[in-house]
Amino acid sequence: MSQADDMGDSADGDKVLVAEYVLGLLDAAEHDRIARRIAAEPTLAAEQRMWRLRLASLDNEFAEVTPPQSVMSRLESRLFGSTAAGGGFANWWNSLALWRGLAAGGVAVAVAAIGFSVLQPRLDVDSVATQLVAALQSQEGSGVEFVAFYDSRTQAVRLVGLEGEQPAEKDFELWYIKGDEPAVSMGVIPVDQRTSITLDAAAQQKFGEGTVLAVTLEQKGGSPTGKAQGPIVAVGKATSI
Amino acid sequence: MVSNTTADIADLIARCALRDRKAFATLYQRTSAKLFGVSLRILKDRAEAEEALQEVYVKIWQRADRYVAGGYSPISWLVAVARNHALDILRARKPITDDIDAALDIADAGPDPEQAALDKGERTRIDGCLAELEEAKADAVRGAYLDGFSYEELAARHNVPLNTMRTWLRRSLIKLRECLAA
Repeated sequence: MSQADDMGDSADGDKVLVAEYVLGLLDAAEHDRIARRIAAEPTLAAEQRMWRLRLASLDNEFAEVTPPQSVMSRLESRLFGSTAAGGGFANWWNSLALWRGLAAGGVAVAVAAIGFSVLQPRLDVDSVATQLVAALQSQEGSGVEFVAFYDSRTQAVRLVGLEGEQPAEKDFELWYIKGDEPAVSMGVIPVDQRTSITLDAAAQQKFGEGTVLAVTLEQKGGSPTGKAQGPIVAVGKATSI
Repeated sequence: MVSNTTADIADLIARCALRDRKAFATLYQRTSAKLFGVSLRILKDRAEAEEALQEVYVKIWQRADRYVAGGYSPISWLVAVARNHALDILRARKPITDDIDAALDIADAGPDPEQAALDKGERTRIDGCLAELEEAKADAVRGAYLDGFSYEELAARHNVPLNTMRTWLRRSLIKLRECLAA
């Protein structure tokens, strides 16, 4: 036996009011008044729960109608800005804003942030793995910036373009320079997506603290001679993490 | 929505509360057709229903933490958000009350004896109780719930004076309440 059942005649009126409230039959002022009473009076709250729970079994009579795609697009841009859904490491790696912040803050900040975030979980704290980061800053007002990250365990350089547009009929080419030795090509790189470049044995030998990474603007497909021909648009020195 | 188990939907809502955008996208993908159906049926205007659907999912995202498992089924909770939003629009353009807030506050109130009784799962009893009413009166109750019809619209549809419809429906609700509580 519920509390509501023990109530007197005026409670019947209340019960009907709550039913009308749940059905949506009350006008705005009355609806508002009952909402406040329900919030304040547990017996009315129980009454409302009862009606909603029972009436909910009619919910299967609402036919499904697929909404247009545009609703979700508008919803996402409204809730999340224009970014796509994502999470975890991939999202972090893909966060252009973060990378831009790192480049702006310089390598020291990049070292701290990458050391903390990229290497989680750090399986082998005592290993001899080498991790390097390089912020390739714009040269001569090229407006081209990259951040590169190297991990000796994967033997790969991960590269993300931060700024800059690729001119038509031209390609960006990445080079590494060890000391006074000539620049060695690491291949053509896209500016608008993340790239991972696996190093060959020779490159692995030479990759270390102080190795310079540079991006030049070359003809389509990269320099045909194996030597940089175009202007350097971004350059940075690798730093140990 | 055959593939939607109650646990799946409840889990997605919980993950929305943790600000999981992928969970939100999945929740939308799985439930938006149902909620659009609700908005469209009550508002009876496609553009308005699309706008309402957007608002409904904003509310769901913002207030997912207020869904309390164990009370309503998660899909019923979502339908209630959509239905109440549509009814708010119908009731008045001016936002006098936020129905979903009131509803959620009640869901938060915690267990009580009545709730325990309700949770025993006799949710389909309303069908039997509606069947005990005269057909026209049962139709009126369903029209109010499913189509958001006002007393005025119900009176016109059943071709009776407004006050007659009011009296009809209130008596029917008392009978229905007795049947449901029996």
